Amino acid sequence: MSLARRNLFKDKTRFALSVGGVALAVMLILLLNGLLQGMNAQISAYLEHAPGSLVVAQDGVRNLLGATSLLPPGTAGDVKARGAAKVVPILSQFIILDLHDKKQPVYLVGYDRAQGGGPWQLTAGREPRRDTEVVFDRILAGRHNIAPGDTVEIMDRDFTVVGLSEGTTSWMTSFLFIRRSAAETLLRAPGSASYLLVIPSDRVGPDLLRERLSHLSGIEVLSKREMIANDLKLFGRLFSAPLQMMTAIAFLVGTLVVGLVIYTATVERQREYGVLKAIGARNGVLYRLVATQALIAALSGAVIGVGLAYGASELIMALRPQFLIVLEPAESARAILSGLGMALLAALFPARAIAGLAPAEVFRR
Amino acid sequence: MESQIPRSKSQLPIPDYQSSNSATLKVDRVTKRYGSGATEVTAVQEVSLTVAAGEIVLIRGPSGSGKTTLLSMLGALLKPTEGTIRLDGTTLSELAENRLPDIRLRQFGFIFQDFNLLSALTALENVALVAALAGAKGKEARKRAAGLMTDLGLKERLNFLPEKLSGGEKQRVAIARALVNDPAIILADEPTANLDSKIGHEIMRLLRRIAKEQNRSVVIVSHDQRIKDIADRVLWLEDGQFKEMVTMATDPVCGMAVEREKAAAQLELDGVTYYFCSRGCRAEFEAERRGQVVGDRLTLQVGRP
Ligand SMILES: Nc1ncnc2c1ncn2[C@@H]1O[C@H](COP(=O)(O)OP(=O)(O)OP(=O)(O)O)[C@@H](O)[C@H]1O
Ligand SMILES: [Mg+2]
Repeated sequence: MSLARRNLFKDKTRFALSVGGVALAVMLILLLNGLLQGMNAQISAYLEHAPGSLVVAQDGVRNLLGATSLLPPGTAGDVKARGAAKVVPILSQFIILDLHDKKQPVYLVGYDRAQGGGPWQLTAGREPRRDTEVVFDRILAGRHNIAPGDTVEIMDRDFTVVGLSEGTTSWMTSFLFIRRSAAETLLRAPGSASYLLVIPSDRVGPDLLRERLSHLSGIEVLSKREMIANDLKLFGRLFSAPLQMMTAIAFLVGTLVVGLVIYTATVERQREYGVLKAIGARNGVLYRLVATQALIAALSGAVIGVGLAYGASELIMALRPQFLIVLEPAESARAILSGLGMALLAALFPARAIAGLAPAEVFRR
Repeated sequence: MESQIPRSKSQLPIPDYQSSNSATLKVDRVTKRYGSGATEVTAVQEVSLTVAAGEIVLIRGPSGSGKTTLLSMLGALLKPTEGTIRLDGTTLSELAENRLPDIRLRQFGFIFQDFNLLSALTALENVALVAALAGAKGKEARKRAAGLMTDLGLKERLNFLPEKLSGGEKQRVAIARALVNDPAIILADEPTANLDSKIGHEIMRLLRRIAKEQNRSVVIVSHDQRIKDIADRVLWLEDGQFKEMVTMATDPVCGMAVEREKAAAQLELDGVTYYFCSRGCRAEFEAERRGQVVGDRLTLQVGRP
């Protein structure tokens, strides 16, 4: 209805305010969700790219990033004997680096280049060929001005950076890759492995292999999916609850902004709505009028908010590359739907004011 | 039992439109009380009135006498506490609340003292919106509104916002809005109070033309003494009741309405009889008259014979 549009646009400041409120709220919702998505992507990146569909860990260890795992000697051979096509051992550990006097948590992976489990994309240099060489996560290196050829100290030993790896960053932990033999020395665990990345043989298949492995003592067997889910849960417990709460708050704030703006606009025009009522407009017509106003404000706000979110996420990731913000089209659609929800809730604010208008009041001055 | 509501035709013949909608409004012993207990106010008391099609009735009376309350009940904006209001076959005072908006939309045209146009809409849209509320399609609503407004001399003002219109123009837009759904009855509360006297008179003549040419009933509430000549009938409302106008006079000193037969004092001077609410007022009047030449002001304030 054109009256809704006219009423809304009559006061440009107010219109801008309500649109801006929703836009910021929607942007915040999208960014928070995008951050969560990005965090999840970062957390699961290593295992997603690692070979195999089963992961063998020390008994009682059910995740990769949050625990220290050390397998009993000979596990690799036992696993292979029970029907694995390939067993990739890694020796890994969450450690704290001193980089220019700043404490930096990283996830150190010791791997065998011939077997796999190392970086899957290098943007510079090459993989480590000696025990004194390390591949750094590109973004972590960038943050500390580390370039290939530089020397860094890892657990009191000097390593030379020989390559930079892509897609292995996270604002919590970034990945460093060294040879497994180097890790054995560093972690004082000669001949050991923390995890085995297992490719079941075609003959046996993952289910049967898993069943067979369950009889081995001292180890835990999980599918890669379960392992990823456990890692996500571990960090999710830390972050997704507060992020979801912030999302809910953003939704409420957006709703309140539109609600208050539409409410004041309605109260201010109370007399005009009363005139319409006196002339013969039904309550339904007036409700629709304010709901349309809320809808126009909220939907334009939501669309602008989606645009802002894309802009802001580019900006944030350019300034702080350790943050990965994943904006999916489905999320944008949901954000616009949440704008719709804001509008409908916001329209409830002035509904009472309209319902309470007595048509005879128009003759009073 | 379904009561008969006079139906309006959607098409107003233009340019010399003739109402296809006329009806008789019958008010029978209507009372309106506000509040209850100690704060109860009887604003209108047992008022009866019949307004014939094409008739112009002017209701006057002191402030707080119940004029607006009565007008609101006539227009189905307010339910009487007692009594009945009938528009032809329909008893408005008994209709369910949710049927009243439609009756107001199609049977009544309202005109207000402060125009009450919607500020965000142009003059044309203000009128067309009300046609659209009654079901006219957008284009048809605008066409009807434009035709009506052209007849009311607003051709050059169609696309102006209300804030850009003069008072008289605003009231003409309001009249067009009141007419656009071809109502049987026009109700106006102080339609000229915010206009200067020349424009006020024009508006009144316009209302008269509408009543006579289009056979619509017009009920006007007004303090304005200058407009009584356009009315077919002038009624005096006081304390919520009609008093016979012929027996009413205005005290030239304090301005109170005085029933001639019951006046506390009277005075004949130069062939004119003056009525007073008290001896005090007469004494003051006499003193003043002795001291100075008769002013127009005093003559004007004499009640209608
Ligand atoms: N909503 C209301 N609630 C309570 N009392 C009311 C209400 N509306 C009007 N009244 C009272 O009813 C009486 C009649 O009021 P009304 O407005 O009808 O008078 P009026 O003749 O139109 O006065 P004026 O010439 O000043 O407009 C007054 O005493 C007024 O105070
Ligand atoms: Mg009044």
